[in-house]
Amino acid sequence: MSRVAVVIDGLLVQAEPDWTVLEAARSAGVEIPTLCHHERTGTEGICRLCMVEVAGRMEPACATRVRPGMVVNTRGAAVEQLRRTVLELVALETNVEYDDELSGWMEEYGADPTRWGEPLAGRRQRKPLADNPFFVREYDKCYNCRRCLDACGEGIQGVWALAFTGRGAEAGVTTTFDLELAEAGCIFCGNCVEVCPTGALVPLEELRAAKGGPS
Amino acid sequence: MTPPLRLEPDRVVSTVCPYCGVGCRVDLYVKNERVYRVMAHGGPPNYGALCVKGRFGLGFLHHPDRLTTPLIRRRKGGELEPVGWREALDFAAERLAWVAAKHGPDSLYFISSAKATNEANYLMQKLARAAVGTHNVDHCARLCHSSSTAALSRSLGSAAMSNTIEEIPLSDVILVTGSNTVETHPVIGAMIKKAARNGAYLIVADPRRVGLAESAHLWLRLKPGSDPVLFGAMARWLVESGHYDRAFVEERAEGFDEWWASVREYTLEFAESATGVPAEKIRAAAERYAAAGAAAIYWAMGITQHSHGVANVQALVNLAVLAGQLGKPGSGLNPLRGQNNVQGAGDMGALPNVYPGYQPTANAAVRERWGRLWGTPQPETAGITMTEALESIGRPGGVRAVYLMGEDPVTSEPYQEHVRAALAQLDFLVVQDILKNETYPYADVVLPAASFAEKNGTFTNTDRRVQLLRPVFEPPGRARPDVWILARMGTRLARLLNRGSAASWEYPNAAAVWEEVRRAAPEMFGGISHARLEHENLRWPCASESSPGVSVLFTDGFATPSGRARLLPAPWNPPAEQPGGEYPLLLSTGRVLYHWHGGALSRRSALSEAYPTLKVEVNPADAERYGVRDGAAVWLVSRRGRIRAVAWVTERAPEGVVFAPIHFAEEAANRLTNNAYDPVSKIPEYKAAAVRLEPA
Repeated sequence: MSRVAVVIDGLLVQAEPDWTVLEAARSAGVEIPTLCHHERTGTEGICRLCMVEVAGRMEPACATRVRPGMVVNTRGAAVEQLRRTVLELVALETNVEYDDELSGWMEEYGADPTRWGEPLAGRRQRKPLADNPFFVREYDKCYNCRRCLDACGEGIQGVWALAFTGRGAEAGVTTTFDLELAEAGCIFCGNCVEVCPTGALVPLEELRAAKGGPS
Repeated sequence: MTPPLRLEPDRVVSTVCPYCGVGCRVDLYVKNERVYRVMAHGGPPNYGALCVKGRFGLGFLHHPDRLTTPLIRRRKGGELEPVGWREALDFAAERLAWVAAKHGPDSLYFISSAKATNEANYLMQKLARAAVGTHNVDHCARLCHSSSTAALSRSLGSAAMSNTIEEIPLSDVILVTGSNTVETHPVIGAMIKKAARNGAYLIVADPRRVGLAESAHLWLRLKPGSDPVLFGAMARWLVESGHYDRAFVEERAEGFDEWWASVREYTLEFAESATGVPAEKIRAAAERYAAAGAAAIYWAMGITQHSHGVANVQALVNLAVLAGQLGKPGSGLNPLRGQNNVQGAGDMGALPNVYPGYQPTANAAVRERWGRLWGTPQPETAGITMTEALESIGRPGGVRAVYLMGEDPVTSEPYQEHVRAALAQLDFLVVQDILKNETYPYADVVLPAASFAEKNGTFTNTDRRVQLLRPVFEPPGRARPDVWILARMGTRLARLLNRGSAASWEYPNAAAVWEEVRRAAPEMFGGISHARLEHENLRWPCASESSPGVSVLFTDGFATPSGRARLLPAPWNPPAEQPGGEYPLLLSTGRVLYHWHGGALSRRSALSEAYPTLKVEVNPADAERYGVRDGAAVWLVSRRGRIRAVAWVTERAPEGVVFAPIHFAEEAANRLTNNAYDPVSKIPEYKAAAVRLEPA
């Protein structure tokens, strides 16, 4: 199939027809920040951090296929303002202390969550769940990117032990009926831990070692 | 991308998972000389995925039961006492040489290891063939895929997966039989499930309702041991109905008439009565399989571990040949290899009948060639298999001394009491291992070895991918890599037995051993070097440095003398022991997700917390009949012993069949199993023993 010519930040990119704007940008060395996207789990278009400007419209780079003649602007004031807000809202709701990448973007985009007021209580109040011998789920650090859901279900494992419930500030990852993982059918492959970008899912061994205790 | 860490690692080392034959590439995160996180590589073979064992089951590396110092028992009945390496090696070599001198080289037996590196396996068989002068060497594939090796070698000329893991999404039809893939090869299991979600038609043939059966479009719940009838009837139907690949058979196969005569009775109706699978399902499976653009068969121990295991595999080979489902991307025959390096152990000639590269010991020219390479004449007497060797102990002309590397026969061989009695009769036993196991108390010499994370070398995974290990730690205490130990043993035995030069045992490192492998088997490994493996994905056969190795086998011919695939009769014989009388149930044994084989590794890790005690699967009808409740303690009793377990009342096991995992040495399933063997492969019948169930 023939390639699709698109312009990204002034660069001409010859993209494969099935590429997303994100893939086309990365192929040209243009970095677009993403939270929920993961190349193997296939999660798409949830966090809105990768929004780019296409002919005056905002579109998610990870969930938008290239179109012939597309002109994409990945920076610019509107994009940056939107990303700043996304980052601030994430930080307002989430304990991001172990997410170095996100913290770096907050600095880069000048994000200041305090301008919205106090951190939101919602998911920050969720208690760590240690219901198995292998890993701990600290959902106060989760910003609902859903990579874990995809790794557990469609993307890799085909187990669907994890589920997504609630709305708004109460929305979050859990298991069906909040069952313990083993009861929910989890087989502890840890592929959710593998793809978790925030440290919400953390190996027990790592937690023990970090606390300096006997592991 | 760096994962979000609570703890900065001292180092991150890229290596290969030590558990199963998938050969997942992993990064080990290390702090204060302990692994605290395991991450998957994005590329092949595992594409970012791992299972619970590889990700969370490496605690054995740091376990107090690690062997850390050489031990010797100066006389039978004495205690094992710690000594230095020189004394331990001298002691072992002198006694092995004494037994060889007094009773002949064939009174020694060398058991190599599918958990050890290619380089260590090469040296173990060299120890037997060059330093001692016997073909008495084998490894645990005898217990797992020897039936596959036998049938594939004689029919196709090559005994390995003919497709690759990356071809799983290319199959339109996938037939999985005798493999609980989602528990025993979990990363491949997940890939097969995903292929089925993406449109591949999944056929599962298994007496147990294993995980994949739940994802299958068609589940053939055959009676245990009726496999040749099921697959024979499928093949017969294809020919009878004209759905077989006539052109493929005429151009690329031989032996049709003899095969056709052998399946004359296997009508769909007969097959229904013999296998318990409705004729309509058998017909549908056959037609789906044959009509696919690309169809692949995957199998494991449910096929091989029978006293007619070779016939079971042969029936699969025949089916693939008749359907022309071989030699195309996503179309082939794929034995899922169990151990991380079981493919490699066979490739390296840790088998009694072949040198490295599957060069037959029966061929005088081959023996001459190896004799020249090693500078010492090669024995003409054929070697015997590991199962035959253990049966021969105590008999006239039998095996009197055993050198054991990374193997625990007391838990892994059938009929445990029989094995214990045999080991107690040995003149001399060397145990070279990383952990204490059930065989260790019988040792006269214990040689502490380095684990996968403490040495260099290569493992070859189930799809023939040769992968480089990298040391993460120093070996604990005075433990040393197998290659280091074997080279020193070789020097000593070569000198004591005056066979070849001690200089031929000087290897500065594992890479030097591999260089000898390349020279010795250039068609298979000539193009693969440790240096290339640092940055390239390579699989055998790989004859030149410019090749990445061959992915799909048999695209333009078979490795048989005629170049054609040989159809051979696959006669149906029931298991050696039939349920009835005092033992009305059939016992099948195998693995569960959370444990590994004899349990030496997995039960010394966090995995043990997830699955602490033995559970046997009991069908609800049998539970009712024998007064057993779910979760209650039971006895399983066979003619050879009894074990205590917890009953798991579940439809997973068919009526009349109980299933027991093999991982619990204190209640070893192999106390019950039958030491009946396949006449060709000598594999034990782990999948069929008559037992009864009693409330405990």
